[in-house]
Amino acid sequence: MRFCLTAILIVFAAGAPAQSRYSGPRTADGKPDINGIWQSLNTANWDLLPHAAAQGPVLALGAAGAQPPGLGVVEGDEIPYLPAAAAQKKQNGEHWLTKDPEVKCFLPGVPRATYMPYPFQIVQTPGTVVIAYQFASATRLIPIKARTEDSPVDSWMGESYGRWDGDTLVVDVKGFNDATWLSRAGDFHSDALHVVERYTPLSREVIQYEATIEDPKTFARAWKISMPLYRHLEKNAQLLEFKCVELVEELMYGPLRKQTSK
Amino acid sequence: MKRIHITALLIGMAAVAPLAAQPKPAPTRSWKQAKTPDGQPDIQGTWVNFESTPFERAASAPARPRATADPSDRPFADRAPKVAARASLVVEPSTGRVPLTPWAEQQRDYALAHIQDSWEYNTPWERCITRGIPAAIFPAAYNNGYQILQTPGQVVIVYEMIHETRIIPIDGRPHLPAVLRQWNGDARGHWEGNTLVVETTNFNGKSMIATNAASLRIRSVPQTENARITERFTRADENTIDYEVTIDDPKAASAPWKVAMPLVRDDGYKIYEYMCHEANQDYMEITLGGGRLQEKNAAAGRK
Repeated sequence: MRFCLTAILIVFAAGAPAQSRYSGPRTADGKPDINGIWQSLNTANWDLLPHAAAQGPVLALGAAGAQPPGLGVVEGDEIPYLPAAAAQKKQNGEHWLTKDPEVKCFLPGVPRATYMPYPFQIVQTPGTVVIAYQFASATRLIPIKARTEDSPVDSWMGESYGRWDGDTLVVDVKGFNDATWLSRAGDFHSDALHVVERYTPLSREVIQYEATIEDPKTFARAWKISMPLYRHLEKNAQLLEFKCVELVEELMYGPLRKQTSK
Repeated sequence: MKRIHITALLIGMAAVAPLAAQPKPAPTRSWKQAKTPDGQPDIQGTWVNFESTPFERAASAPARPRATADPSDRPFADRAPKVAARASLVVEPSTGRVPLTPWAEQQRDYALAHIQDSWEYNTPWERCITRGIPAAIFPAAYNNGYQILQTPGQVVIVYEMIHETRIIPIDGRPHLPAVLRQWNGDARGHWEGNTLVVETTNFNGKSMIATNAASLRIRSVPQTENARITERFTRADENTIDYEVTIDDPKAASAPWKVAMPLVRDDGYKIYEYMCHEANQDYMEITLGGGRLQEKNAAAGRK
């Protein structure tokens, strides 16, 4: 029953974004209340496109480190890479264990932070929305106002500005560097990346998430991903630390350590 | 290396960004604590604490504030809020000095002497993990921006340095189970009148109570698993939060000690992404790699 309702709402959301059927709780200023801890439930961090199960890159991890299968999250099942970028993506994917910034606990970028297998917390006030990601303590401050100038400096998580389109939170993100990836399959972008995210609450428990990805140095046209985000309903839900720097120091600096120090 | 780059970048930004150096209107007696829609005293906004007060009082210093701050203390004077310098940030005990235990001093001295041996002897700030709680709010030379947000059931502090969001539940829920320990512990808050009181426990015992050079003798002092941190945020007027923190960690200090300082509202201050770990390879190669090079040279010299 609830599942059917959700499906109907997704159709509505796709067809008529301005007409919201959201009937969940609202904040004091009348917006859908999206405060809480959220997480996606898919395998897009492995591969944005449809993919079968596959052996992982670390033999010793066996089934525990294997790539799980997934239907993909890209509209039309195609990422429109320019020819040189397509070759780069293929090479990235072949060497992801040494090249993927996720392995080194670097800031994950947008939209990847949304579909990594870690929760994130939305803090919603009228003037500012904060998204606090568990992975690497990544933080986005999203002022609810129009962008008035280009970012003075490139950054890993980009610079975000938000606005409400009816019951949909729309976040415009640019000012990225070219160092983050979009998946372990080697999907990547340049510093010309421009992401527009749409967070459309369907109920108290589900947000339909959409991101339009534009980057004329890497892609022939804009393309879109979409997925539901699910609210953590545990009574004691709390965003715990995943300060992964500590977990990669041996990997990154081990050879520099004094041999007798451990 | 990293620090120099970041500092240079910030100087550049400070030059471009609109400065909030204009004198703020003096608080009037009619100022009244506003409330959020759910009835909390409203302490939201962007707050900074660029200031030049020394962390501790010098062992031989008189027990009174300096009349004026030495301008050379303030490399970022254009950003410094008008906060009068006091004798020390440490206000209890009355000596203005942290009553460190011999164990704490020995741990600190060992860590400082072995910084080139392993990342573990560096502060968690130098490792780009965290500045810790409460150290994340101790003044440093740059990036002293904090944004506070309030929603029903929680107060949230975004710390510019290391990019951390601290979620403080005020809904009366119990602390995490004792087995679950974190770098920044586990915070629980409640309102006592117009004062937000935050108790933090469940530390992992790997952090340090202060992490940057501005904290002088206290830098690299260990923070044990038993540390209990009690912070109080009281809005004194439109542009000021009086902040104080009591640090109770019996293995590291023989009595609880307290730091007090104002946070100053600065609507024009913009918090930028503080990239750290992503560019820390240079620091580690210079620090640890430098240590290995010295060993190699010393070994060659003995032959």
